[in-house]
Amino acid sequence: MTPEILHTISYEERLGYLRAKKEAQTREKLRRLGYMDEDDYGLVLPPEDFSWRPKPNHTNGSFYGISGWSKNFCDLLENHPVYVDPMDALAGRYMFLLNRMRSPVWPPELDYSHLKPEQEQYGIIHGIGNDQHLAPDLAIGLSLGWGGLLEKVRHCRNQHGPDKEEFFQAEEDTILAIQNWIRRTVNAIEEAEATETDPMLCENLREMAQVNRWLIEGAPRTFREACQWLAWFSMASRTYNRDGAGGQLDELLRPYYERDLRDGRIDDETTVFILACLLLIDTRYYQIGGPDAEGSDQTSRLSFLILEAAHRLKTTCNLTIRVHDGLDPELMRKGVEYLLEDRKACPRFSGDKALVEGFMRNGYSAAIARRRIAVGCNWMGVPGVEYTMNDTVKINVAKVFEVAFEEMMETTGVSPNIDELWRRFEDHLRKAVLCTARGIDFHLDHQHLNEPELVLNLFCHGPIERGLNVTNGGVDMYNMCIDGAGLATAADSFAALEQRIEKEQVITWRQIAEHLRNNYEGPDGRRVRLMMNTAEHYGQGDSLGDLWAVKISRLLTSLVKASPTPGGRNMIPGWFSWANTLALGKQVGATPDGRLAAEPISHGANPRPGFREDGAATAMVKAIAAIQPGYGNTAPIQLELDPGVGKGEEAVNNICSLIKTHVDLGGTLFNINIVDAQQVLAAHRDPSKFPNLVVRVTGFTAYFANLSPDFRQLIVDRIVREGNAVA
Amino acid sequence: MQTADPNANKARHDPLEKVPVAQEPEMTEGVITHIQRFSVHDGPGIRTTVFLKGCQMRCAWCHNPETLRRAAELQVFAELCIGCGACVERCRRQAHEVVDDSRVFHRDRCVGCGRCAQTCYAKALVLVGETRTADEVAQELFVDREFYESSGGGVTISGGEPLMQPEFTRAILALCKRNGIHTALETNFAREWSFIEPLLTLVDLFCVDIKLLDDVEHKKWTGISNRQTLDNLRRLDTARKPVIVRTPVIAGLNDRPEQIHAIVDWLGSLFNVIRYELLPYHPLGAGKYLALGHNQPPQWFKAPAPHIFEQLTQIASLQRKP
Ligand code: SF4
Ligand code: SF4
Repeated sequence: MTPEILHTISYEERLGYLRAKKEAQTREKLRRLGYMDEDDYGLVLPPEDFSWRPKPNHTNGSFYGISGWSKNFCDLLENHPVYVDPMDALAGRYMFLLNRMRSPVWPPELDYSHLKPEQEQYGIIHGIGNDQHLAPDLAIGLSLGWGGLLEKVRHCRNQHGPDKEEFFQAEEDTILAIQNWIRRTVNAIEEAEATETDPMLCENLREMAQVNRWLIEGAPRTFREACQWLAWFSMASRTYNRDGAGGQLDELLRPYYERDLRDGRIDDETTVFILACLLLIDTRYYQIGGPDAEGSDQTSRLSFLILEAAHRLKTTCNLTIRVHDGLDPELMRKGVEYLLEDRKACPRFSGDKALVEGFMRNGYSAAIARRRIAVGCNWMGVPGVEYTMNDTVKINVAKVFEVAFEEMMETTGVSPNIDELWRRFEDHLRKAVLCTARGIDFHLDHQHLNEPELVLNLFCHGPIERGLNVTNGGVDMYNMCIDGAGLATAADSFAALEQRIEKEQVITWRQIAEHLRNNYEGPDGRRVRLMMNTAEHYGQGDSLGDLWAVKISRLLTSLVKASPTPGGRNMIPGWFSWANTLALGKQVGATPDGRLAAEPISHGANPRPGFREDGAATAMVKAIAAIQPGYGNTAPIQLELDPGVGKGEEAVNNICSLIKTHVDLGGTLFNINIVDAQQVLAAHRDPSKFPNLVVRVTGFTAYFANLSPDFRQLIVDRIVREGNAVA
Repeated sequence: MQTADPNANKARHDPLEKVPVAQEPEMTEGVITHIQRFSVHDGPGIRTTVFLKGCQMRCAWCHNPETLRRAAELQVFAELCIGCGACVERCRRQAHEVVDDSRVFHRDRCVGCGRCAQTCYAKALVLVGETRTADEVAQELFVDREFYESSGGGVTISGGEPLMQPEFTRAILALCKRNGIHTALETNFAREWSFIEPLLTLVDLFCVDIKLLDDVEHKKWTGISNRQTLDNLRRLDTARKPVIVRTPVIAGLNDRPEQIHAIVDWLGSLFNVIRYELLPYHPLGAGKYLALGHNQPPQWFKAPAPHIFEQLTQIASLQRKP
């Protein structure tokens, strides 16, 4: 269908058209870019004949520093194709991720080779040079608009001396470039309006032009302006460095919605349509519901409309409902209802109690802890005042286990036993944590020289006022993330050794070491592998594996919390491996849990796939609640459920109960996939037949067809082995 | 900073410490096939279902052959065997043998002791049927009590036929009730009322199967009469206990509208039927039967066609309290 032949077009038809267009764009991405083992992000490809490359400012062909980023970003926006669709409520799409267009990502002069041996030894994802991953305070932008932001930058520039000139010039140029992008888009909207024949779409374009013309300078006044402003922020920030952190969307937009409603400018159908258009432009992470700083529930009519928008859109969305005691139970029920009906793994649910109590243990007040909201894949941040590196720093505990095991077996004069192994594991994990902490310091001390946060600085309290990058003293709170990865692999390995060697005495340390070296090949390898694999494991409930998982998580927590980084920064432990389970698995040889060399390690805090024959969701909910580090970062549960879990009231009730119980027991974040194992298997055989199948990979959702075969296999294993086990 | 106990909001007991069991253990023993947590189709809310082994009916279509006999049985999934030979050494009765490089199982020699299954890591040998005390079973059933509380769920005793182990059933139910847990009993009700009466105060919800109303047909397909079941349902009604009545629907066997109508009409005289449900039959592969050395039921036992099932569901929904 083409827009021209439609006359009175309903919102539903318009959304249908926009959804179909997005699906075509997704297929196009697969064709032109190949597989993407990550979020879909909402990025649209530029026309095939359009090309733009960044200009290097370093002999290695990459670009760095304030001027490198500023010049390239401004030049990109100057040339960025504009995008207008008369069916859309909002203008614009973004087409590039500038931070993916340079390599190497770290300037060679800033040398951290002294950290590399240990980083490699322990499979540390050090995060040095990793950008964004902080929560912007979008209220700053909504209240000032681009013009107001520019004024603020100029005002602050005057307060500082010449040493900050480069920084402020770059911030100014950043805003000017965004304004120019909007201005060029306004021209394109006007051109489209001139040729549009459908009166309704013509009217839509006229309003769209008006909205955007205002937003070049002005702060948003209406709901549509506010959403369009958020869209421009999203597009600019994604383009700059893939930043995907949103905010408390219902509260950010509520004043505009209520005012428009009161003045008769808007109705709920229009609100939902505009919201759907916003969610379509970017898969940004937003929180809805949850407590305000004083603890009162923030659920409003708009919270429901946001859910409704995601429900009507039926693409990849990342909404998180914050579950606390005072949450409007209807919001939770509605969320679960859509989760079951849409099967798009949206929304997710975070656990306020553990997040708040946990974060307070770092020395913060309840009011601040409540404002630390879900804005990332697995993570929370206090908008505008906290820098975290969340989700960018990980220790592969499966690798640490391997180092400890090999060292014990190779040390002469040591008779191997489980206590000895644990002692060595503790020792190496301590070293790994210290090395990671040093890496964090190194990043914080140098990142501003590599990649300043020219866009996100604008939406923080401090960087502009102080003339300092957010990574470098621009904000007040630095709570640095350290996530463990591969918990189940390590816990199950300890459990299998304890059970089979020490308790049952059916194999010796030397024998198992030999089998690991041979990757369970050779005589008796298959039987031994099965023997180790079928030992008690994490997730079964009160098993040896469960005990080891708790022990390991407590160890990681105590080591991370024992002291701040050498540079004095607070660190917060969590369990999360994002999409890294494949790569981290490649680093590790065969493990005593029966895992073969180079196979993926277990995902985040999850038990390994097939952890119980009945895959009981309740067992998983309890197991993951028991290993929470408890300092305000997450150890998410990723639960696969078959549609056999049922429909209607009963099923909604049961899933609400799973979520509530997890949250009551200390759970932090709950991700649920409702997927039909048979459909996923069929899609694995021929993904092109299921272009709309959306799965939650980890903290993010993705189109199944756009994932690489290896990655699809990972999802298939998880879903087929767990999801279909509902009685 | 960081002075508070980081584990204060953890699970209610510390997983690294074992919780002592306070009460006198309930030592009544029984045989179970397995315990299923997060069971969401066996009564309201999130439940844990314990399946007791042994049944007096012999439904021709039965798809849980492992629950028929009371005694422990060895399931042999030959396709999983990796030929390690461990079972041959373990069995004291020479029930496993290696003949020409392949393992042969002599079921007639097997006493179901399970020794071989313990060393069969390939899970080619699985012993079904575990003797446990009511107390042991209850401890496992209580693990998910938080979920029962927040979902309005509880424990379901199913089978096999729980009434074939009435003392064991009563003991588990009593432990549940003593701990304030909602209980459901899934039963074919084909035992004398004297087995049921002692359970009345212990069961919150009965789930009773009526497979066929016509007794001749019932005998033909299940091996026994339905008189006792119907009689017990009436008595249960007099005792004012809520009951969900269910019919597994098998194509060509009990999927004619008049057959379902007949049940609906019969139920019409009862006061405490809270729901009448139809369950479409799910045929399974031959594996489970072969594993136990049974013959597979005839291939023609199939689920009813969706449009027929839909029609029958509408008839079933006519069932109302008078
Ligand atoms: S122990 Fe199991 S795998 Fe080994 S030969 Fe016997 S049946 Fe086969
Ligand atoms: S269950 Fe016991 S008797 Fe039967 S085959 Fe195994 S070891 Fe032998």
